[in-house]
Amino acid sequence: MSADKAVEVKGLTVRFGDFIAVDDIGFEVSKGEIFGFLGANGAGKTTTIRVLCGLITPSAGAVRVAGLDFGSDAAAVAIKSKVGYMSQKLTIYQDMSVEENLEFCANLRKMEPARMKARVKELFDFIQFDTDPKTMVKDLPGGLKQEVSLAVSMLHDPEIVFLDEPTSGVAPAARQRFWQLIRRVADSGKTVFVTTHYMTEAEQCGRIALMRDGKIIALDTPAGLKRTAFPVSLIELSSDKPLSKELLAQLKNDPAMRSLVPYGMRWHLEPAQPGSMESLRHRLPAEVELAEVAPSLEDVFIRMVEGKR
Amino acid sequence: MNFISRDSRTLSIARKEFRHIARDPFTLGMALGLPLLLLVFFGFAIDFDVRDIHLTVFDRDNTRISRQFVDSIRGTGLFIIKPGVGGVNDDLDHERVKGTLVIEKGFGEDLRGGKSPKAQLLMDGADNSGAGVIASYLGGLVPAAWIRLKGLEAARMPIQLKTRFLFNGELNSRWFIIPGLAVLIMGLLATLLTATTVAREWEHGSMELLLSTPVKPIEIILGKLLPYLCLGLGAVLLIYVSARLVFGLPFAGSHLLYLVGCLLFLIPCLALGLIISSVARQQQVAMQMSMMITMLPSMLLSGFIFPVESMPAFFYYITAIIPARWFIVVSRGLYLKGEGIVELALPLGILLVMNVFFVRLALKKFKADLEP
Repeated sequence: MSADKAVEVKGLTVRFGDFIAVDDIGFEVSKGEIFGFLGANGAGKTTTIRVLCGLITPSAGAVRVAGLDFGSDAAAVAIKSKVGYMSQKLTIYQDMSVEENLEFCANLRKMEPARMKARVKELFDFIQFDTDPKTMVKDLPGGLKQEVSLAVSMLHDPEIVFLDEPTSGVAPAARQRFWQLIRRVADSGKTVFVTTHYMTEAEQCGRIALMRDGKIIALDTPAGLKRTAFPVSLIELSSDKPLSKELLAQLKNDPAMRSLVPYGMRWHLEPAQPGSMESLRHRLPAEVELAEVAPSLEDVFIRMVEGKR
Repeated sequence: MNFISRDSRTLSIARKEFRHIARDPFTLGMALGLPLLLLVFFGFAIDFDVRDIHLTVFDRDNTRISRQFVDSIRGTGLFIIKPGVGGVNDDLDHERVKGTLVIEKGFGEDLRGGKSPKAQLLMDGADNSGAGVIASYLGGLVPAAWIRLKGLEAARMPIQLKTRFLFNGELNSRWFIIPGLAVLIMGLLATLLTATTVAREWEHGSMELLLSTPVKPIEIILGKLLPYLCLGLGAVLLIYVSARLVFGLPFAGSHLLYLVGCLLFLIPCLALGLIISSVARQQQVAMQMSMMITMLPSMLLSGFIFPVESMPAFFYYITAIIPARWFIVVSRGLYLKGEGIVELALPLGILLVMNVFFVRLALKKFKADLEP
């Protein structure tokens, strides 16, 4: 196991009774990387994160986080002081002020008052927090709550930050702001491990693991995933009039076409061979516009996670 | 910014818990309002004493002696006497009175002639406990009336039962209720608030926050229980002060022993709250379960109102596993009888065993819940 890895996982399996939440997965995350976990609800993303934070004991497999091997209770405690965890739900206390929340968590981590004071100031600067720290969390706007949550999870200056859907239910502008923060966390040398539902956010990760039914079905950079999923090309069909059912059925059953999926009001068609543009142009009605497009992660997601043929 | 950091995680959690209590109107209302409400309800509204009993009297004899007999009943101040009119059962049938006394013709004659005079008492048996009390009141009046009518000489009966009520001389039911009420309120508060506070952490997801730090389960447990232990003791104090000042109860026993008893009772209640919270992850469910588990048994099976000694064997043995049943014995023993450690050794010992049992079970359940 090498020193520049923040997380190393081999053969990780988590069972809840008969249910297999995580099924024999393995991956490595380098230090300073933004590592994304993409998958539908129940794919096993949260369970994996909870294992890595020392909240669940795995049923099988070898896990090494921040240079610490899992196994003993002491290791679980040690891991908790090296990683920060921000859960899906807002876990800071709504009926306490920002200051009180930070103070409380610092006490749980037995931080020296002086160190805590300095760290809180650092974090407030980092998230550009300019609201009164005595404000109750419940009175903060949604985006700011998440930012304070991030600050709480980074209070003890962890090496790795685990963010489980940190931007769910947050307004688009605030989401963008939050991702700027994530990039800055990674730039400062920390490892960020993030799950998300938003494809545009996943594009910003260094590498992405796609999860489905407890398994990792693909792991690569966003560009690499796109190349693997669509080795030939992707053609977008757009038209003012809806495409006829006959035409769609014909394209779908054509062995020269690998897939046809709706994309908003348009269709994304994937030919099996390169250079199919010409022949398609002849087959399709004139009002249908054809354009070769770069596949988005959404295409990849649909292809690999939902639309397995 | 004024950050005061203390070394103990337990104290941090306890302080946070006090903040929750102070800022949540529901918890605060529960903690302060419930004891007051129950105190007012049981202290003023509910009264098991039988007073102002309506009684119809048909004096068919209507002699000086019969009138004197009726006067001696009226003289107790417990009865409101209504002269009978019409049928003997009329007033009873319409539930206008609790009982009807019929004094037969010849009552005075028989008394003077040395024969035993006759009178009949008809009671409304629907309210069996009330009827029993009234019948025994009137029964007790007969010898008194006899003395009044015939003079002390005649009153010398072969067997005389002289009754004196100890500990609660006036048989004031509040004296009986309030030491038990303290038990009821403490048990409910401790269990309910503990169960809901832990359920709230689960419901809001903040348990994840606690668990993602190196805090130990035992620190969470102690930090959560400490504030509710204080609250429970606060309720005890409130009830103690109002019992002494408002209701004029005596406190005959040792205060130190009472404090020990309170702790021995509160701790299993807090533990029970933890056990409930490991089953119910929502505040609503936790609240309902706590009510069911503490309120009902401590109302019905603890001897709070109905004496356990007169319960059928099955229920009598069931009461043994209810902590409130034993602490009520301690509480009444200390308030009214001034019992000491020797007299109270059995209930205190049983409470101690319950402490060990409930605390161990709660620790096991709660730790299994928290540990990865």
